[in-house]
Amino acid sequence: MNQFLSTKKVPALLLKTSFSAVICMIIFAACDSTSTEPEPIPLETQTASDVPADPVSGRDQTTGRAISNNLFTLFDLDENKIILSSSVTDPTQRRSDSTATVWDIGFRGTTIIFNGGESGPGEAQAQILTQPFHEVTEAPGDGYIADGKNTTCPPIQTPAGPVPGSTLAICTGSGNGWYNYDSDLISPIPGRTIVMKTATGDYASLRILSYYQGNPNPPDSNAPSRYYTFEYILQADGSKDLRNTTDGS
Amino acid sequence: MCDRHRRIQIRLHLIWRIFTVLFFFATPSLGQPVPSDSARTVQMNPMVVTATRSEKTLEDVSVPINIVTADVIEREGALRLGDVLANQTGLALFDDHGSGLQIQGFASDYTLILLNGEPIIGRTAGTLDVNRITVRGLSRLEIVRGPSSSLYGSEALAGVVNMIIAPPLEGIKGSASFRLGSYQTSDMTFEMEGGLKNAGVRLVVNRYGSNGYDLTPETYGPTTPSFADWTGDLRGRIALSDRILFRLGARGTVENQESVFASLNTEDRYNDEGRRLEWSLHPEFEIRLSDRFRLNTTFYGTSYQTQTYHRHQEKGFTNYEDRFDQTYTKAEVQLDMLWGGENVTNVGVGGVGERIGGSRYGAIGPNPESTLTYFFAQHEWLASSLIHFNASLRFDNHSDYTARLTPKFSVLLRPVSRLRLRASIGSGFKAPAFRQLYLSFTNPAGGYSVFGSVPMNEGIRRLEAEGQIKQTLFDVSRLESLSAESSVAFNLGGFVEPFSWLALQANVFHNNVQDLIETQPVAQKTNGSFVYGYFNLDRIYTRGIELEARIKPQLEPSKLLDITLGYQFLQARDRKIVAALKGGTLYGRRSSGQDYQLDLGDYTGMFGRSPHSASVRAAYIHTGLDLTLSVQGRWRSRYGYRDIDGNQLANRTDEFVPSYAVLGAAVTKTFSVIQGFDAVVQIGLDNAFDHTYPTLVPSLPGRRGYVSLQLDL
Repeated sequence: MNQFLSTKKVPALLLKTSFSAVICMIIFAACDSTSTEPEPIPLETQTASDVPADPVSGRDQTTGRAISNNLFTLFDLDENKIILSSSVTDPTQRRSDSTATVWDIGFRGTTIIFNGGESGPGEAQAQILTQPFHEVTEAPGDGYIADGKNTTCPPIQTPAGPVPGSTLAICTGSGNGWYNYDSDLISPIPGRTIVMKTATGDYASLRILSYYQGNPNPPDSNAPSRYYTFEYILQADGSKDLRNTTDGS
Repeated sequence: MCDRHRRIQIRLHLIWRIFTVLFFFATPSLGQPVPSDSARTVQMNPMVVTATRSEKTLEDVSVPINIVTADVIEREGALRLGDVLANQTGLALFDDHGSGLQIQGFASDYTLILLNGEPIIGRTAGTLDVNRITVRGLSRLEIVRGPSSSLYGSEALAGVVNMIIAPPLEGIKGSASFRLGSYQTSDMTFEMEGGLKNAGVRLVVNRYGSNGYDLTPETYGPTTPSFADWTGDLRGRIALSDRILFRLGARGTVENQESVFASLNTEDRYNDEGRRLEWSLHPEFEIRLSDRFRLNTTFYGTSYQTQTYHRHQEKGFTNYEDRFDQTYTKAEVQLDMLWGGENVTNVGVGGVGERIGGSRYGAIGPNPESTLTYFFAQHEWLASSLIHFNASLRFDNHSDYTARLTPKFSVLLRPVSRLRLRASIGSGFKAPAFRQLYLSFTNPAGGYSVFGSVPMNEGIRRLEAEGQIKQTLFDVSRLESLSAESSVAFNLGGFVEPFSWLALQANVFHNNVQDLIETQPVAQKTNGSFVYGYFNLDRIYTRGIELEARIKPQLEPSKLLDITLGYQFLQARDRKIVAALKGGTLYGRRSSGQDYQLDLGDYTGMFGRSPHSASVRAAYIHTGLDLTLSVQGRWRSRYGYRDIDGNQLANRTDEFVPSYAVLGAAVTKTFSVIQGFDAVVQIGLDNAFDHTYPTLVPSLPGRRGYVSLQLDL
């Protein structure tokens, strides 16, 4: 109920702010919009490039099968850095790092996990909005799901009846979550924004830009895959305000 | 009038005479074979067989149909089936494992290609490469748009192309032609024909070859490999009695091709050798039971085999080997009945056995085999000269997919003599492809497995026994068999001939398709990848308008213009994408990274489909000089071919093949060498604008010239 109230409150506040700003602009050519109340400084969009997500290291000589560690890379949004790479195989180090709340988001192949629920000890939860990244100026009050708790992933339709999909916060499979797979190319679905709570409960929005090393433009399926380039906006003060410097672009 | 022209006329006349003999119950309302005095009438109102599985004049057919005669094929300088089809109204070619024919917005999988009414087999990823078939020796092509599954069964969903080779004529006739062109492309054809009243035989031998071409010299290996293709075709007829006619068709093709390529990562060089072998045998008895009853007994056997090898150039080992082998045998009886001149009934029953083998099928266990039994019936009621009705129905019972019943109903209205209106509603279907039924494949690189619906249970059990299955997503033993992909189609059109020199045709079509087969995961393996199966999931529709104008003024007694202009508007749409666009949940991503919302207007349709396309075929015929000038070409608006910004439709410029036009021209002159011998010289140019898209349209070489000489006996 508290959450519900707070979602009602924030848009009202926002509306008031922008409305008065507009009035102000109409009446006075160059008025100071901070006169009514303090305007928060727009947040910076941060970018993480070529975060390895269990890249393929070679081919099995006899079967030709791809070889990878089958491990997640764990990433900390606050510091914009990798906490534990999928290339680290030492079990002790992996255990100690993955059970901490430093990391927020993890990547392995096309699967994304969040530090919470069945994936980690943190508070992280996430959801996908059908809204362009830069237009998400406020984190929704509800709708977040911890890994392992998702019951909304589209079931697989079969003649034998529907089969439940994945239970991760971000559904797996082409067209179900953050990407589409077509003609050998994994491409992030445009107009989808991941909105999440970090391991420590802060709000952030995030979108994947590329699954290929070097973020090739146009996307190129021949480039090494399982390297995420993504951008995100992190609100460190605990509020849901995600207004950013590129608003209205 | 020159000898050649007269001979064509005589030949046409003879064809009609033979038809008259065969088509014993021709009635005035069915359309009499036309006297041959006027070349125009003969060409405007010829006999067709494909639309109703029995002879009818073109104007009595109640579905959209086009015809291309041998003299048109010759004057355009066409060698392969694709050359002819590409310039027809409403047809397009699309490259995907060969050049496939698109009719009414459907991919090649949904079109049936026939030779004298029997199917050509051999498809790669659904595509039947129309450039592998020579048009030399064909009498004519008939193209029916819209579904004909109620008569022909599977694959006749989008349309049917029937290549007709007429029975050998009386008399002796022969010809030899040689053609040389760019890229050392050559074509040689020998044709011998001899016939008496009661028997006749014709042999056509064709060799077509090329050194291939390379549109991307910066990479190692040609765009199109060098090849040599031999085709032999034998047709015979014997009247065993007054009432029994035996016909035989036999055809074989061998193609060898050679290419080279370098592996993407290692730069290792390989030789790529391919071989294709096809044959067919088609004996047929036609029995006149009485004046009103005719029985046709047809046997047909055909085989298609391919082999591909990649050999390392230095080390000599075979890196890749693929074989495919398909045989198809069929027996069918068709009874044609005439009731009182106003009702015609055709009923037929038949059986088909198919067997496939090769690297991807039956590598473990026996080769997949299937049987099909079917029954069809058609009734035509010629209620009056104003209105004809046609209803047909076919039942297909296949061993490996759900049985189905396919109806069609059409009506032809003729309010005045130069106006005809056609309407039809019918169903079409396409059987699940071999891979969808029988594939048993594990990708060595990706580790995933794909099973067709038939080996699915067995495959899962085997993987389970090997401990490779982490979890099955549902109980696969409860899976029902796949259904055929099916459509309901409407065609509404008209034909009007306001002047003797002008004919206009229009057709509006709508095809509603359901149960399209897609892959879905059925189990997860311990290595993290999935096992996939095939399911009836998707729904699409295609709709549009086909317009054609034929302008054919007789300029002077010896000069004739013959111009056909065609246009097609097409919307081929995936219903899932339409729903997402209407719901406002689809976005595009510009290369700047900006996301923007898409609406229905941004949807140009499924990949490979141009919303607009146009064609022209124009000929200037000077019978006095024995000279023909032909110009033919096509234009298509841009079409999407891939998605790179993750919304599964083409919206960015770099997701489209730009619009392009291909135009060709040929000049043909006939010389009378001595009495009874003609020499035909042809000079031509293809793709005059030199448009090429090496990776996207590899079948489109650059500008090509050619010269040919034909000697007629």
